[in-house]
Amino acid sequence: MTTLAEQDIGLVDLIDRLLGGGVVIAGDITLAAADVDLVYVGLRALIASVATATEKGVLPGMGSAL
Amino acid sequence: MSDKYLHRPSGLDSLGDPLPSIDRVLPRRLNADPENLERGLAQLVLTIVELLRQLMERQAVRRMDDGSLSDEQVERLGQTFMALSERMAELREEFGLEEEDLNLNLGPLGNLL
Amino acid sequence: MITLYAITDHPTPPVPRLGEMRVVPSGDLAAVCGPVIKGEVTAEALWQHEQLVEALMQDRDVLPVRYGTCLPDDAAAARTLQDNHAEFAASLDTVRGAVELAVRVFAALDRAHVPTPAAAPMTGAEYLRARARSAAEESDATVIVHSPLARAARACTVARVNRPGELLRAAYLVDRDQTAPFAAHVKEIQEGNPQLRITCTGPWPPYSFAGS
Repeated sequence: MTTLAEQDIGLVDLIDRLLGGGVVIAGDITLAAADVDLVYVGLRALIASVATATEKGVLPGMGSAL
Repeated sequence: MSDKYLHRPSGLDSLGDPLPSIDRVLPRRLNADPENLERGLAQLVLTIVELLRQLMERQAVRRMDDGSLSDEQVERLGQTFMALSERMAELREEFGLEEEDLNLNLGPLGNLL
Repeated sequence: MITLYAITDHPTPPVPRLGEMRVVPSGDLAAVCGPVIKGEVTAEALWQHEQLVEALMQDRDVLPVRYGTCLPDDAAAARTLQDNHAEFAASLDTVRGAVELAVRVFAALDRAHVPTPAAAPMTGAEYLRARARSAAEESDATVIVHSPLARAARACTVARVNRPGELLRAAYLVDRDQTAPFAAHVKEIQEGNPQLRITCTGPWPPYSFAGS
């Protein structure tokens, strides 16, 4: 019998997978209002470029210290 | 609920922080009601702020470890980051967001934070 | 509206008689689908979905699909397989004969309590030093736990965790018959490192290795 804490951990691992992983198919309609998702995707692209720039030390002031 | 454990440390009953209930770990986007639109935008903005906060904090720590910061600078930076961290906590609470919510899955890049 | 559970090869062994799952083929791939299950998203709903995917995994290689993925009908599922054939086929090959194991590392109980400014007042310098210590602990966990396990796995992913006390969250793609040795390895690492608390769950369908 798993303890409550153990069940919770199993649950976190489960959620990481079911909701954070797996094949993502474009056009699935379980997403919320389409307008928000457009914003979501646009900003996601922006943040992705910030993250990449930072990794490469291109972001001004950060350099390779990161 | 099947037992998925292959290994667990002894004394797992208390992990320090209480683990979140399912309501708190589910991403907001699964609940498509109107109030969440605003929270969704707040989530995005706060995630960016959180990213910057972590980057800056990390750089400050490196500089501190390098020895390239004076004691006053360390103290001042620490105070600033503390205040920022507290303010972030307030903002998260205002929008009903948890720390885990301030993350974005960038697909092939993995999670942002 | 139909729900997608997983992508697999075509032909494929008969799917278990659970959840009204059925196979929608397209070329050498197939989508395993079922009716949309209405209702709240609860822990039970997630586990039930997971059980279906794991039942599939018993008898075949699968690419699990993200929970909640729905399509209008079978034709749309077949089209999706067609449109993304190269990507899905490549991903399926990557995970052939393998399962996913999840590992999480926490600081030991007596060290897990990271003082926060809210809990106890501290100077700026103390705060930065505490942050430095946390960063060092995460880095140690990576070297001590992740590196050896990564060498024992086919592939791995590491998540950046934003939770105090949690030092590492990683997923490993491991051959099906290597689950027990991998778990033994985790146990060995745990025994040599009482300052850490390590959990390992699985085997899971390869969710973390299914994307492009």
